[in-house]
Amino acid sequence: MTTDAAHVKACCATAYSSEAARFLLGDRFHPGGAALTSRLVRALRVGPGDEIVDVACGPGASALQAAHETGCAVIGVDLAVAGVAAAIHAAASTGMDDRVRFVVGDAEALPLADASVDGALCECALCTFPDKPGATAELARVLRPGARLALADITARPDRLPAELDGLGAWIACIADARPLDELADLVTHAGFVIESVERQDAALGAMIERVQSRLDAARMLGATIGGLGSRVDDAIAIARAASRAVANGDLGYGILIASRP
Amino acid sequence: MAMDTGARARTDRDEVFLEYTKSICPVCKTVVDAEVNVRSGRVIMRKRCADHGQFEALVYSDADLYMAQQRCNKPGTLPLEFQTEVRDGCPLDCGMCPDHKQHACLGIIEVNTACNLDCPICFADSGHQPDGFSLTVAQVAVMLDAFVAAEGEPEVVQFSGGEPSIHPQIITFMEMAKERGIRTVMLNTNGIRLARDSRFVAELARIGTHVYMQFDGFDLQTHLAIRGKDLREDKQRALDNCAEHGVTVTLVGAVERGVNEHELGAIVRHGVAHPAVQSVVFQPVTHTGRHRVFDPLERLTNACVMRLLTEQLPEWFRVSDFTPVPCCFPTCRSMCYALTDGDSFIPFTRLVDIEEYLDYVSNRVIPDLAVREALERMFSSSATPGAEGALLACEDCGIDLPAAFGDITKNVFTTVVQDFQDAYTLNVRQLMKCCVAQITPDGRLIPFCAYNTVGYREQVRAELSGSSVPTVVPNAEQLQSILAPGPHGSMTSGAAGPGTRNATNVGRRLGSP
Repeated sequence: MTTDAAHVKACCATAYSSEAARFLLGDRFHPGGAALTSRLVRALRVGPGDEIVDVACGPGASALQAAHETGCAVIGVDLAVAGVAAAIHAAASTGMDDRVRFVVGDAEALPLADASVDGALCECALCTFPDKPGATAELARVLRPGARLALADITARPDRLPAELDGLGAWIACIADARPLDELADLVTHAGFVIESVERQDAALGAMIERVQSRLDAARMLGATIGGLGSRVDDAIAIARAASRAVANGDLGYGILIASRP
Repeated sequence: MAMDTGARARTDRDEVFLEYTKSICPVCKTVVDAEVNVRSGRVIMRKRCADHGQFEALVYSDADLYMAQQRCNKPGTLPLEFQTEVRDGCPLDCGMCPDHKQHACLGIIEVNTACNLDCPICFADSGHQPDGFSLTVAQVAVMLDAFVAAEGEPEVVQFSGGEPSIHPQIITFMEMAKERGIRTVMLNTNGIRLARDSRFVAELARIGTHVYMQFDGFDLQTHLAIRGKDLREDKQRALDNCAEHGVTVTLVGAVERGVNEHELGAIVRHGVAHPAVQSVVFQPVTHTGRHRVFDPLERLTNACVMRLLTEQLPEWFRVSDFTPVPCCFPTCRSMCYALTDGDSFIPFTRLVDIEEYLDYVSNRVIPDLAVREALERMFSSSATPGAEGALLACEDCGIDLPAAFGDITKNVFTTVVQDFQDAYTLNVRQLMKCCVAQITPDGRLIPFCAYNTVGYREQVRAELSGSSVPTVVPNAEQLQSILAPGPHGSMTSGAAGPGTRNATNVGRRLGSP
């Protein structure tokens, strides 16, 4: 690994709670929007009385959606203090704070007891965790036997990615350390899960990158400086362009994976 | 005798049955049952009158889009008061009756029937006519008061006609609306007076009037076909006068098949480039009042207009950049907000997944209600330039434009596509949620599409002018043999009478005679 692991984790957490991230990504920090989240949540097959964990929950949109759609309780975990604060606020303002709570925590050391939750959701985040086997082992540890994991993540063929998609900026954009979908499946299997289904969702990533590009174009048109991004709008535009090309070539994509803990 | 059952195969209908609703006979205006079906990817209404036979008309030319848009159907808001009672049912109790599903976002007051033009296309049947009406200050006061009583703080009133700018008291009327706290006052005009009388434009600036100006294209043939006159210089001078006085303008294009379909992209470009223009509205020509002979199955719909825009400005528009407006029926009106510097054009749909916030059907938690509320103010029939301010001012919003963006109103351009119903396409399902109301001098708020098709317009005009007004019948190809020109240029039919009562499925029980 070229970048210090702790630095990457802190940078990712800070970046995703920054004004720039809010501007570029809106309140859904993952491809596919609410519709894809809904599919993942349904795959967990949970209901009232169950509790699930949303790992790297960001400002809490998916956690709230899961609770609303299934009636389950949710604990959202994220490394960014600001993101967790926003999520707590969102839960309170929608009157769901009796069932949905959020804590600051590390995906590689979840603040949860062994076999304590009935499902786990992890959207577009594993690619940013430097210790992937550690993170998947944690997911296996906290799930009770029979519970399911719904994982969605950026996928990539690392040897085919262009140079623009290396380095910290691209890492924050979930790209630099993304793995091929079959490697993600191996990671999950090695952690002790049984894979139920694997599916590519590359078009969802293409649409999300296009949205980021439009937001960057808007920023440039209006001559705005975006907090946290500073004068690096042009760098960001270059990364987005390279990512868009890589999606078109099939070197970069998005995948979802459902697995159960025996 | 043995039947040869093997030779007869059952066949399927060639259409998908979507809706069972009510409409009217386009000839006698009797209320009849109607079906809406999908055939070859197009949405088509069919109905039958006992006296005048069967009618079919194109409702929406893209069935996929028609179905998808149903999600953006916002629960209506009750007005403070209704003006009529439910007696005969929709559409005969206008308006508004307590069964109406939505308050009036936009109120229209037609101040006269006189016009300084005699356009071949005019839904209001206006012109240089001896037998029209011209409202008094007392009448307009009653109308504005009725609007305020129904709405509390009405959002938009639009003065129309006739040609409202030639009414001697039009300035007084607009001041009266402002005095009553109505947020936005619009003038629906052909622009001739604005081109030739810059003192009048200065008055509009003083009052803060927003100009809603007919603008159908740039070709001489377009002007002759729709307005009967070459108004190109007047239109340009009117726009320049507005810019000079700081009056904001919406360009309103009436779009007719075979006339000006090819000019839509050029109209948007013209609007984006002109400092006075903040938005463009395209309206497929409403086949009521005066209009060209048309085929109801080949009429233009919102979907056609959106497709034409994407063909003529592919670098700017996709069909998905248009968002159905949730306050009225979502298939009636679609809007696109975009950021532009005159060269690049970035629709807001590329920045935020607007329809995800405006899906009222799925049982899904909305990530941020403040964003939905801001979007509802933008995607509304009462939206006026600057409505995007609500979204941009919203701290938690999905676009979340940083404060550094500052005042970007000058960079926002709005494109609207609005289809009004005619006597062929009228569907009470849409009508019951209509949020554009024609205000009458007796204080009723009649949904605009009912006013133009059911017979209310003829009634009100006859009452105000004291001369009889025959029932207006659409100038459709299939009706040519029974049509004759009426006194104001629209068509009427000798066959129009009380009509045989449509007795299907009404007021009886099984087995009763």
